[in-house]
This record gives sequence, C-alpha cells and structure tokens, in this order.
Amino acid sequence: MIMFTSLFYLGIFLSLLGFVLPLLRLENNRKAHRTFSYSLSILSSVSFLAFSALVFLKKGEYLIPVYSNAGLIDFTFYVDQLSAFFIAVISVVSLSSAVYSFGYGEHLSHERRKDYMASLLNLFALSMVLVVASYNTLEFIFFWELLSMSSFLFVLFEYGKPGTRKAGLYYFIMTQLSTMFLLLGFFGIYANTGSFNIQPVTSLQNLTLIFLSLFIGFSIKAGVVPFHKWLPYAHPAAPSNISAMMSGVMLKVAIYGLMRFTLTVLPQERWWGVLILVAGTVSAILGVIYALKEHDIKRLLAYHSIENIGIILIGFGLYLIYSANDLNELAILALAAALFHTLNHALFKSLLFLTAGSVVSATGKHNIEEYGGLIKTMPYTAALFLIGAVSISGLPPFNGFVSELMLFQAFLGSYLIQDPLLKSLVVLCLSGFALTSALAAACFVKAFGITFLAVPRSESARDAKEVGKCMIAGAVIPAVLCIVLGVFSLQIFSLMGYRTDLPDMLVIGIIMSLFYAITYLVLKNTAANKVRAGETWGCGTPLSSRTEYTASGFSQPIVRFFKDIYQTREVNERRFYDKQNTLFKEGAGEIHLMKFFEEKLYDPVARSINYLSIKVSALENWSLDTYVLYAFLAVLATVAYVGWIA
Amino acid sequence: MIDAIPIPGIIQAILVLIMITGALIVTRKDLLSLLSMYRLQSLLLMFLALVLYAESGNYVLLQMAVLTLASKVLLIPYIIRRMQKEINISKDISFHYISPAYSLFITVALIFFSYYSLSKTLNELTDNKLFYLGAVFGISLALMGMMVTFSRKKIVTKTIGYLMMENGALIFSIFITELPFLIEVLIIIDLVILVLLAAILAVGMDSSIEEFQAKLERIKHPARNGGTH
Amino acid sequence: MNPAQVLCIAINAGLILGISPFFMGLVKKTKALCQGRRGPPLMQPYYNLAKLLKKERVYSGNSSVIMKATPYINMAAITAAALFIPVACITTPAYGLGNIILFLYLLALAKFFMALAGLDAGSTFGGMSSSREMSISSIIEPITIVVFAALVYTLHTVNFYDMFSQTTIMQPFFQPELLFISIPLFIVLIVETARVPVDNPETHLELTMVHEGMLLEYSGRDLAFMEFSNSIKQTLFMAVLINTILPWGLSAELTAPAILFSAAAFLVKGAFLAVLMGLFESAQAKVRLFALPSLFALAFFFSILTVCLEVFS
Repeated sequence: MIMFTSLFYLGIFLSLLGFVLPLLRLENNRKAHRTFSYSLSILSSVSFLAFSALVFLKKGEYLIPVYSNAGLIDFTFYVDQLSAFFIAVISVVSLSSAVYSFGYGEHLSHERRKDYMASLLNLFALSMVLVVASYNTLEFIFFWELLSMSSFLFVLFEYGKPGTRKAGLYYFIMTQLSTMFLLLGFFGIYANTGSFNIQPVTSLQNLTLIFLSLFIGFSIKAGVVPFHKWLPYAHPAAPSNISAMMSGVMLKVAIYGLMRFTLTVLPQERWWGVLILVAGTVSAILGVIYALKEHDIKRLLAYHSIENIGIILIGFGLYLIYSANDLNELAILALAAALFHTLNHALFKSLLFLTAGSVVSATGKHNIEEYGGLIKTMPYTAALFLIGAVSISGLPPFNGFVSELMLFQAFLGSYLIQDPLLKSLVVLCLSGFALTSALAAACFVKAFGITFLAVPRSESARDAKEVGKCMIAGAVIPAVLCIVLGVFSLQIFSLMGYRTDLPDMLVIGIIMSLFYAITYLVLKNTAANKVRAGETWGCGTPLSSRTEYTASGFSQPIVRFFKDIYQTREVNERRFYDKQNTLFKEGAGEIHLMKFFEEKLYDPVARSINYLSIKVSALENWSLDTYVLYAFLAVLATVAYVGWIA
Repeated sequence: MIDAIPIPGIIQAILVLIMITGALIVTRKDLLSLLSMYRLQSLLLMFLALVLYAESGNYVLLQMAVLTLASKVLLIPYIIRRMQKEINISKDISFHYISPAYSLFITVALIFFSYYSLSKTLNELTDNKLFYLGAVFGISLALMGMMVTFSRKKIVTKTIGYLMMENGALIFSIFITELPFLIEVLIIIDLVILVLLAAILAVGMDSSIEEFQAKLERIKHPARNGGTH
Repeated sequence: MNPAQVLCIAINAGLILGISPFFMGLVKKTKALCQGRRGPPLMQPYYNLAKLLKKERVYSGNSSVIMKATPYINMAAITAAALFIPVACITTPAYGLGNIILFLYLLALAKFFMALAGLDAGSTFGGMSSSREMSISSIIEPITIVVFAALVYTLHTVNFYDMFSQTTIMQPFFQPELLFISIPLFIVLIVETARVPVDNPETHLELTMVHEGMLLEYSGRDLAFMEFSNSIKQTLFMAVLINTILPWGLSAELTAPAILFSAAAFLVKGAFLAVLMGLFESAQAKVRLFALPSLFALAFFFSILTVCLEVFS
C-alpha cells in the first residue's frame, strides 16, 4: 500500500522536476538538461505505469492525499481501476513520446524552443494524469485547465507558420467552451449534493440538463462530431510528438471524464446509451469520410482520431444500452471493447503520429502527394507505419482488430434485445460501423501506399534520409505493443480476470504464420526460383512519378460515392459583351469543397454572437447620463419584479 | 402436404417481394421494366390475397384477388403500355429532390418510423405480429409510391408511383382495416380513369409535367415567353 | 481440440483448396458456352497454375518488399479463412475458428495487402485498380455485415460451424429469412469475387479494371498464388451461400462414407451454383462504376428488409 502511493508521489515529483529544470537555464550545456528532463519524463511515466498496473491488478481503490488546507483547495487524489487504466494509457504514450523527443526535440529551430519543449512535455503529461486521478470536481477543472493551457502552448509552438494562429484560436475557444459546459454540469451536481467530490449521486434534479452539459463538454474535448472542428486544425499545428499525445491520450481524458461521470456519478437513464451510440456512429462515419479527402498526413490522422473516438463511444453506448436491458454479459463485452479500443487507439495513433512526424521531418513536407517511395529510403519508419496502418484498419491479428471484433460481437449479440426498434437501430449502427472500418482500411491503403510505395514524387522525398535511432525507438514501443496486445489479447484478458469466448488470436496468428512458412518453403523447393528485374508496364511509354496514381486519384471514387456528404460549392461566373448574353466575354469556374460544419454551424453561431455583441455595445455611448438611465431602468425593473412576484 | 406449408412464412415472403418490387420501381430508369415491376407487384398482391383467402376463407379476399388480376395486372398496364408506345419514350433518367439511393435509405427510415407510430396506436388492435408487419410494409409502400410521384419527372413514372401508392393502401387495408369491397371497386375505377387521363395528358400534350407546365405558362403569359422567339 | 476435430477442419480446408480452381473453370466454361464459344477445358485453371509455378518471376525496379510478401500474406490469410467454413463435415471447433467477423477480416487483410501491392509498382493501372477495389469493398461492407447480422439474428450464433449445423436440420423452405438472406448474399458473392456487373474478370481493359489490374505486375508463382487465393475466396463465399440455403447432405458425422457423401454433395451443389453464376454473369451488363452505389443501395435495402422480417415478427 505504501509502496503504491509512493510510486504516485514519485511520478508527480519527477514530472515537476522535469518541468522546472529546463526553464531554470542553470548552465550553458542546455542539451544535457533537456536530455535529463526527457529522462525524468520517462522515469515518471514508468513509475506511473507501475503504479497503475499494481492498482489495476489489485482491483483496489486508493485515496492519495497530497495537499489540503481544509478549505476549498483539496488536492486529494483517488485512483480505482478505471482511472488506473487511463493512467496506464497516458503513461505508455508519454513514455514513447519522450523517447521519441530525444531525437525530435533537437530538430526544433531555436534553443529556447527546445527548452520549452522538454519542460512543457512534462507538464502536459502530468496534468493529464492528474485530471484522471482527481477526486473532486474543482481539482478536475483545475488540472483540466492546466492541460488545456499546456496543450494550447504546444499548438502555438511554431507560431510563425501560416495557419498556426488560426489553429490556436480555434483550439482555445473550443476548449474553453468545453470547460464552460463542464462547469455548468459540475455546479449542477453541486447544487444537488453540496459536495464537490466525484462520487455516486442517487437522486438529482435537472438530471437531463446536467448529463447533456457534461456530454457536450466532454464531446468538445474528445472531438465528437459536430464539435470536432478544432482537431484537424490543432493536431497538425502542434509538433508531432505532441500530436501523438494529443490525439493518443488527451482525447481519452475526455472519454475518461464521460465514463467516470456516467458510470459512477450520475444515475443512468435509458436514452443516454442511444444518444451516445448514435453520436459515436455519426462521428465514426464522418471522421473517416473526411479523412479520405485529406492529404495532409497529420490532418488525415487527426480525422481518424475523430473516427476512433466515435468507435469508442459506440462501445460505450452499447454498454449503456445493454446494461439498461439487463444483458450484463454483452454489456461487459461492449465496455471492455470500448476500453480496449481506447488503449489500442492510443497506441496505434501515437505510433502513426510519431512515424508521420519522422516522415515530415525527413522530407519537410506535409502533403502526401509529395512523398512516395519512402519505403526504400526509410525502411524502418515504413515498417513501423505499416504496423500502425494495419492496426488502425482493424486487420487481424493486430490489436485494432481485436477491439473491433469485440465490438462486432457486442453488436451481433443484439438479437437478445426485446424492443424491435432498439434492435433495428443497433443494426443500422452496425452497418455504419462496418462502413467505417472498411473505409479506414481504404484510407490507410492510400496513406501508406502513396507515402511509402512506388516512385518518389518530389525532390525532397527522393533525398529523404532515415531518421535517428531515438525517433525509431520511440515508435518501436507502441508498435511492439500493438502486436503483443493483438496476438496475446485473450491471454492478457484472462490475466486481468476477464474471460470471454473470443477467438484466440494467438492460434490464428500461429496458423497464419504456419501457412506463410509452408507456402514459402514448399515453393522454394518445388517451383522455379528464377527472378528477373524488369520495369513496370506502362504501355510502352516511360513511366515517371507524374504517371503514378495520386492520393486524390485514389480517393476520387469514394469522394464521388459520398459527394453529398462533402458538399461542394460551385461558382460559375460569366460575362458577356451584349445584354442578351450571347457573346461570351470571359468567365471563371471554381469548385470549392465546403467545410460543412464550419460554414453551416460554426460561422453562423460566431456571426450571431458578433451581431449580438455589436448590438450590446451600441448601448454604450460613454455618457454618464445614459448609464444613470440604465441604472434607473434596472431599479425600476427590480421594484416591478418584487411588486409582482412577492 | 398443403397443411405442412406454414402460411405465415409464405405471407412474409410475398410481403418482402412486394417491397423489393417497390424498391426497384424507385430506382429503375427504364420505363418498360418499371411497368413490368408494377405488374409483378400487382401479381404478388393477388397471390397475397389468395393466400390470405386460403387461410381465412373470407370470400371478399377472393373477389379482391380476381379484381386485382383483372385491373392491375392486365388492364392498367395495358393502357400504360399503349401510352408508352404512343409517346415513344423509354427512359426516365432524371430525379428531383432525392436520388434513388437516398430514397431507399429514406424508405428504411420510413419502415422503422411507421413501425414506431403503429406500435403507439395499434398495440391493442392486433396481437398478430404478421398483420403488424403487413401494415407497416403497406404504409411504407404507399410512402414509397409518393416518393416516386414527386421525385420523377415523366408522367408514366408518376402514374406508376401513384398506382404503387394505391397498392400500399390496399395491403394496409387487407391486414388492418378490411376495406369494404365496394370501396375497393370504386378505387379501381378511379385508378383506371386516372390512368386514362394521364394517357390523354401525356400523349395529347407532352411527356413530362414540366414541359406541360411550360406550355401552360406560355399560354398564361404570352408576352414574356413568346416575345423573344 | 481433439484430433477428430482437427482432421475434420483439415478435410474441409483441403476440399476447398482442391476444388476451387475447378469452380473457376466451370464459371468460365459456362460463360464461354453462353457466348457461343467452346471455351477452355474445365481443368484449365489447374494447368495454368502448374505452368505459372514453373515460370520465372519479374519484379519491377520500382517495387518493394510489399510486392514480394503480398502473395504469401494473401495465401496465408485466405487459407486460414478456409478453415472457417464447413463443406464436408461439421464439428464444434475451439479457438474461435469459424467466427464470422474473423472470417471477413482475414479476407480484408488479404485485400489490404493486395491493394498495397497494386500501388507498389508505380503503375497507373495498379493504382486505379486498388483505388476501385478499396472503394467498392468499402461500400459493400455494410451490406455484408447486415446480411451476416441477419444470419446471426436468425440462427443466434456467430460461428459458422454452429450456424450450419443448425441449417442442416432446418427445412429452409419454411424459413423465409434464410431464403431472403441468400439473395443479398449472392450479391456479396458477385461483388467479392469481382464479377459482372461490378467487374469483369475476363478483361484487362481500364474500363472494367478492378481486381485484375492489381495483379498486372505479377508473374510466375506469385501470380499463381494470387489467382489461386482468389479462387479459394470465391469458393468460400459460395460455400457460405450453399450452406445457408441448400445445406442438405452436409453431415455432422465423422465417418468416411458420411464425409464422402457430403463432399460429393458439395461438389454437385457448388457446380450448380458455379453454372448459375456463369449464367448470371452472361445475362448482365457491366455497370458503370459510379452507378454502383444505387445497385448497392438496393442490396442494402434488401438486407435490411430481411432483418426487419426477423426483428418485427
């Protein structure tokens, strides 16, 4: 018991030290300091990891007091299995991200920036752990804001680049909006119970309002459609090691919040599951459909985060639906799928962001149309990215498949539901989910194929060099975990005390490798072994990188299939010499891809707020008399109110 | 052997086939196949009535089957076929408002929606799930017919949509309300008149409502449209 | 798993592997006869495979390790999937063999790598084909899963072996659900095996190029593998369809005569279905790629209707 909590304290201490050290600038040899700071981050991740693993396996609940002045400020932490799981997820990703940063952090342009990177990385990771371990809502909000601030600084890290400031502004506004909704929900709970502690509440007034505001608050931070718009701006703007953490785990903190408050705090209602399931399905489908159109590699991955958050919500929604219908076994399966997918997504998404960061730093380009043929110059990065791509596409025997399999099983168990309409809704969501995973595979064929295969499409891709050892090592950690968690999934589940009749991926993996080996060996000995180098058939014309299939070409059929979702706007301008419009003078035609949510949802809201504020500010004219008049009206209104009501 | 065949299974099968013909009518562009789909649908409807007659022995159902065969399988398609030959158009390619794929997705939603609303109202009326299914499919078919009438342009297609609507109403009435036979006869007469009128409109004036409207506009405002040419 | 079960699964897989090229040839022959040609002999696919195995392989200088590894990955995944479908005898296997989702995703794994290999050589044809293949396979996926969900809803299990041991004792005529499931299942079969109206396996024209284009850069034994695994995949989907609608003859006994009888029954039913597929292909015209969504919407509608039948009654 004592050893447990001391690990937690140790983790906090190491992180804080790592945060402060690079900022002090004690010596001239700052690189050593940064290296030390990254090492501290690794150590603190390891201690958090050990701590959470112990808590998880012991299935205990621990209250860890840190600082309390008996008044409002009460830094007591609470860790049970759910938070231990999320702490483990956070720690694994920050561990690999810190290892990666040894190499990546030194690529940054200014000495001071490198310092800030090392320092803020620690703060960022620590604040996530502490949000998850919070015992009361005030603490939760405090660390939540700390998390928002540190990630906001990271989004603005390369503030000189075009688009970064817009990304920062977007991110800032959305994250503050999320905090606002959370505060509303938290005060709603406080108004009912008189306590800020995060603990079960039996009866609540305004339960629907509280749930909805918490759901919206967490959805904004998690990037659920239609609150997702900040993600594709913020993630590409941040440095790649940070995007890995933002996408891999920061979104999961919001998922944690949602799970914590719906599972343990609020009394559940039946329709919540339906809402969450539908929101998840919509997010998943739209996320992957937008990802297919995207050719900026980091933005593509950001859209996939929206998709995967959707998948996690699908699992969680199914859990709520099944537990409301007393189908406990299926409910547990769905919840396990959601949690396992949380872990898996953290792993493969951080892997993908890290390797994408390697590609970006090796080529200096963000657009996958300018890559190509990198598998020959960057073989390790290519192999790691392929592992990530196969995992995220949900292909056996990797981890992404196992969690999707669990979800499919949970979906297919819906024949036990009594209500026919609920059943049909689940089937419709199932078809959406299947569409999502198939489209994800298509998208990663594009991402991997265009980036790494065939002929280089630009000079910078041709001259790309494999990245340093640390950057590879940082990506190897999640890659190995992707394979291990996939192949040994069943064994790991039974180790944790969860028994199901899922297919044993170990056996499937062995069977597949056996067949691979057999075909290889049999052929080696029987068939012709002659190999000749030739060139690609191009109907007799010489092929170059210009004749290759492009990323936009690749996704074009899908873009056309789903053209109504993308919403293009066409502009045709024609001018004529005469009035009857017969003699054509000049014209222009444009096809714009509409940013549907931005133009139809965000902008109108922003415009109406703007309009309102102009109206309000028109009331101000800097004259004392006017203000006295307002005060007079206000008093009059109060008197009238008192007179009528009382 | 006959006793061993479960009537509900056959009814379900016929109902699904009717919905499929409906879906084909929604998506098909070829007028000839549209017509034959309608004919097939009416034939299936006749079989449905026959099967129900075999089960319940209600004489009205037999009359209905005969009437359906005479009017909807033979007479009305014949008139439409004549009309089609006359106007010499074989395809209705363009769609208004919704494309066929979307109208199918909407139909799926409609099926669930009509199930939902029926489950609110009809719960006490019928415990027989099969009748329920029939009613839901009937309403959905009628709505699909409505979608055809507003999403297609050619008069022939619109007419077929209207006819499909009536088929849906008939299915609904077979399963739920037991429409009096006389009313059904009147409806059929109505339909025949409608088809004849449509034929006169189409052959006599034009092949699509839009062109007809354009003509109407021209008659109404000769100055605006007639002036330029 | 006990030895009898292992033996049973091995017999199933062996039968599927052995018979697949024959069904391929049968479809080709049927189409040829419909077109008024004499067509290749029924055993031609076997001769082709044997010949290809003896040929040298040519690799483009642009291609990478993906191109070389894909035939093996493809073969491994699809052969593993062949363990999932009972054709000659039924047991109750352990370790999740027979799980429908795993089955679908093993095939998806093969498809994923095949599409990557299409892009690998840097050829326009390969890129176009893998793009189309992935697009088509992603929009058919909801239909596939709803059809399989309908199967699960009717038979209450997610394992093929359990499913088909139930269908063998049912009388399918009296199960309208199963009859109706078979129609979208047939569409899935046509799409997954890249046949008319979605694709044309006979030609290498750009217009119809979906599946064949990805194999354009393959030669020698790699090509043999790709073609062989494609024929296995076709047999697998055929077996699902056959076992759903015509399971007669499939035995649960592990005796030599019973197994021989079921194998012969499968051969006959499979041959019948292959001829049917050939006739269907001959009767159809290739549909434009961008007209496919409305075709698939129809199939989706159908599969949802079958679910409705199950759910609402």
